[in-house]
Amino acid sequence: MSVYNSVDGHLFLPVLKTYLPILVFAFLGLTVGGIFAMLNHLLGPKKPARETAASRRQGEPYESGIPVEPTKGLRFGVTFYLIAMLFILFDIEVIFLYPIGVILKDADSVFVLGEMITFVVLLLVAFVYVWRKGALDWR
Amino acid sequence: MNFNEPHLDYAGISPLIALTVGICVVLLSAVFKPTKRWAPGLTTIALAATAGLLIWQWDDPKTLITGALRLDDLAISISLISILTAGFCVVLSLRERATEEAGSGEYHSLLLGSVLGMVLLAQATNLVSFFVALETLSIPLYILCATNLRREGSLESGLKYLIVGSIGSATLLYGMAFLYGGTGATNFAGIADGIARNGLDGDPLILIGIAMAAVGLAFKTSIAPFHQWTPDVYQGAPTPITAFMAVATKAAAFAVFLRFFDVALGSQLDDWQPALAALAAISIVVGNVGALGQDSLKRMLGYSGVAQAGYMLGGVVVLSESGTSSLVFYLAAYAFMNLAAFAVIVGRERETIFGDDIRAVRGLGTERPLLAWPLTISMLALAGLPATAGFIGKLYLIEALVEGDYTWLAVFIAIGTMISLAYYLRVVAAMWMRPETEVASGARPVIAGASPEADPVDPDAGSRWYIVGPALLAAAVTVFFGIIPQPLVEFASHAGAALFG
Repeated sequence: MSVYNSVDGHLFLPVLKTYLPILVFAFLGLTVGGIFAMLNHLLGPKKPARETAASRRQGEPYESGIPVEPTKGLRFGVTFYLIAMLFILFDIEVIFLYPIGVILKDADSVFVLGEMITFVVLLLVAFVYVWRKGALDWR
Repeated sequence: MNFNEPHLDYAGISPLIALTVGICVVLLSAVFKPTKRWAPGLTTIALAATAGLLIWQWDDPKTLITGALRLDDLAISISLISILTAGFCVVLSLRERATEEAGSGEYHSLLLGSVLGMVLLAQATNLVSFFVALETLSIPLYILCATNLRREGSLESGLKYLIVGSIGSATLLYGMAFLYGGTGATNFAGIADGIARNGLDGDPLILIGIAMAAVGLAFKTSIAPFHQWTPDVYQGAPTPITAFMAVATKAAAFAVFLRFFDVALGSQLDDWQPALAALAAISIVVGNVGALGQDSLKRMLGYSGVAQAGYMLGGVVVLSESGTSSLVFYLAAYAFMNLAAFAVIVGRERETIFGDDIRAVRGLGTERPLLAWPLTISMLALAGLPATAGFIGKLYLIEALVEGDYTWLAVFIAIGTMISLAYYLRVVAAMWMRPETEVASGARPVIAGASPEADPVDPDAGSRWYIVGPALLAAAVTVFFGIIPQPLVEFASHAGAALFG
């Protein structure tokens, strides 16, 4: 820090100081998160020294019966991914309509309406494209 | 609550509107059966309309969208160069494998999207519009590089460009954050004000900002030592896209380079001028020496692009009207020289088994003189031989550098040109002097396991109008402006006057 004081750094230091909350936040996040993760480990039931087939089954929701199917390496169909991505895209874009909605009444202008229509038309173009390309078909 | 309707100059933003409408129409045309094959035509119409609207605004500088954009002759001339390159790219993309693979509509609308970014970037006078435009330019290019889906090289090229480009963007953004942090302004004029008002001359905050912004822009313009991606990406990308990328990206990035460093950081001239001059010198040396050993024509042109970027950076370094004019002149000349070369490479790639290897042009002089001449002219122009636009361009750059007290950089350009003769003339020699010892075209090679990708797609590609036409046109223009440079000089001097006049 002293380096910057020497170069008339009356602006540089305050800028660095504004990063302090971020540091505090990172520290708090790591500590609290870490503590909770550790608590589980410290207070939770201990595993038996030697893992057997029986002890493994004890950890499952239904102790007796066939093994629960979806294992860790479960594969999701890529369609889920596609639909989720499209949802996020359109969902986020629609958020842009809210600010216009808020001022629409006060603004009372054709310009705002025009902007809104332009925006919706652009969304519509994307929607038609996605639809015609068959991205919405569940295969 | 009060709502103030922003004043919008619809005439000023009409080129942007035309491009946006073009993107939508081209994209939609591809998903409906009757219009399936219309994409290249519609793209050409959109580009022509945009060019027309831009020419309509010529010599009528105005500030748009509350100071985020400035449409002056510099912006228009650079945009026109980009649009022209995109037009060539559309023609060269006809029957291109990448276009079929990625879908014609997507390919062409991405191309238009990139052009939109370039037109925006050339006008940007605000950090926000600057960055948004740069990303609008880059993201479609990342995808376009990878459109040859079945070729590993193309995918590699796309991924490499994505990663390196993102690093460049991130660096630039970080630099912008420093500048904004120091001056509290995002528009270029406001930054200059803020530096003066807060007494930040030579402040580390501003210096870091300038350095990082320069590095980010150097990534985009492939200036050494930030050029490592260039040869790989150029080689892997579909050749029409390489042509577009090599010329148009450089033009747009140099436009914002000029505007940003002149308007926002002009007062810090003494701090960044030597640094940029050093970068230019390194670029000239690295590019020219790197190109010497290349057998792939696209890699060679990639390295040559690095060297040429070094020459052009000289126009930014001196920060004068003549520097800007000579840079714009050189960019226009560079566009035609490069397009002629790339058109020939596209043709040879399709009709021979050698791809973009220098063997593909062996014996071209006797086999296809209509392709050999454009490539010869292009190589000679890139090397800066008289009677070509490349010579006049270098002359103006050197003149501007000497005028701006950067004679040593002018000497670097001269030395770089001498080195460059070695690899440019090698191509010319291969075309005219080598006897056609190997089967260059036509017959399929008797190689076991030859993949269909390695086979010529179209044994007559070298005589098709959409290859020969662009090649001849670009070469003819190169020679024309080499002999009668006046119209192009006029064009470029408008751009220079826009920034300094």
